[in-house]
Amino acid sequence: MAGCVRLTVLGVARCWRQFEGPWTRSLSSRSLALAAAPSSSASPWRLLGALCLQRPPLVSKLLTPLQEEMAALLQQIEIERSLYSDHELRALDEAQKLAKKKSDLYGEEEDEQNILLLQDLEDMWEQKFLQFKPGARITEADVKNDRTSVHRKLDRNLILLVREKLGDQDVWMLPQAEWQPGETLRRTAERTLATLSENNMEAKFLGNAPCGHYKFKFPQAMRTESSLGAKIFFFKALLLTGDFFEAGKKGHHVWVSKEELGDYLKPKYLAQVRRFLLDL
Amino acid sequence: LDAAAGTRERGAARLSDPRAAHRGPDRLGARARKRPSATGRHGGRGAESGSAPAEPASGSAADADEGRAPAGFVAVVLGTRAHECHVSTRSRGQRGKCLVFALSFRAEPLQKKKKVDPKKDQAAKERLKKRIRRLEKASQELVPIEDFITPVKFLNKARQRPPMELPFEENERRALLLKKWALYKQCEHEMERGAIASLLEAQQEALQELKLSAPELHAEATKRDPSLFPFERQGPDYTPPIANYQPPEGRYHDITKVYTQMEFKR
Repeated sequence: MAGCVRLTVLGVARCWRQFEGPWTRSLSSRSLALAAAPSSSASPWRLLGALCLQRPPLVSKLLTPLQEEMAALLQQIEIERSLYSDHELRALDEAQKLAKKKSDLYGEEEDEQNILLLQDLEDMWEQKFLQFKPGARITEADVKNDRTSVHRKLDRNLILLVREKLGDQDVWMLPQAEWQPGETLRRTAERTLATLSENNMEAKFLGNAPCGHYKFKFPQAMRTESSLGAKIFFFKALLLTGDFFEAGKKGHHVWVSKEELGDYLKPKYLAQVRRFLLDL
Repeated sequence: LDAAAGTRERGAARLSDPRAAHRGPDRLGARARKRPSATGRHGGRGAESGSAPAEPASGSAADADEGRAPAGFVAVVLGTRAHECHVSTRSRGQRGKCLVFALSFRAEPLQKKKKVDPKKDQAAKERLKKRIRRLEKASQELVPIEDFITPVKFLNKARQRPPMELPFEENERRALLLKKWALYKQCEHEMERGAIASLLEAQQEALQELKLSAPELHAEATKRDPSLFPFERQGPDYTPPIANYQPPEGRYHDITKVYTQMEFKR
């Protein structure tokens, strides 16, 4: 187990080394490098806890053409292998009676019996069904492409991104906070959620362990003896209830599906984040 | 005489101690309290097992001889006296009891209720147990599985569909579709497996990094989260929930059959 972990770390390190170099600007230079393991007990990496808040889908996805065909075939096979139900038996009887009525000349005897045909029943049921207005699968937020609203893309997982100022640049990232001594990293992520939503949102955290990480070194100007770079650890949570307040948050947050992440996140950060997001 | 009887009694009590260990201290006290009036014999009975030198009184030896009267005799004597007295039963396993006689001239043989009562109780219990066992053997009804019992109305032949022969093209289409579906499902499974493997890999790497920089945080991260399970979530439906929806009024009658099975110990 330790052996394969070591191998994967080395493999990733190789990829990381390929990306070193080209970034020279102040903060876009998130050059990844293997941490030179400090001999002292105090690690030079600052620890940050980040929150990967997901809004789970409310609606099932549309079926692909193959799936539609298969569903139709299975339904057909089920009908072929079944017995007649009461409803169908009644339909057969009534069809027989109608045929008989047409061929016979006497029609008055039949009218005393129940006039309510199966066809009438089915029409009544149809009318009742049409009166019910279900919720829309494609919401107005989809139509307007309003990415700040939670009620968009109801069939996908949506992730929360926030825009923060790092140095002199605005960067889109997953909400994060600095780790303070005396708390666990999961507690840091919970704190992030509380401060971000002002205690309006409730989420279910999926376990104590982080689901992913991102490591970067500070640019030369910012490096000190104690802080060489930072490690961000992501914690997954599912949104249960709540949303942001309307005022004051415009332009600072966005709910985004996995394909749209590329519009916002930096490449290396994106690469790390995509690994722990399930593609539905 | 009384004094002698008293000493004899005490002596008898002393002698009786090693043999009558099961008797409580109250017996001795009771004996001391309830001195029968004319029981030189009564006191003397205690001496029959003991050795003579233990008797402090000199006149006890003669009385001891006299005192070796059979229990029944003594009982009869006592019975005619209409006094509260002890029945000294020296044999092991039997406990003397305090008997009260209402009439003096009812000279019935004394019944040891304790002998018969436990037997009667035991007999009654055994009879009950026998009945219970018979009931057990008779009925061990198992809870019926409703899915395995075909309701009678579905055995009607009129319900069966007429046998249908599918045309050749339809069969071909179905076979091809099933093959395509099998391939699609295989690809889907491989994709899911890959996704899960990549999730796990990312998590293991994150834990490794955490271990390198902060071992104590790593230890806390690898602890179990007891609040995670049982994990319940409503799955996605075809349409989203409507805000402020008023469901139609009506009552819900639950007609599921509930069976209780009695469990008998064997």
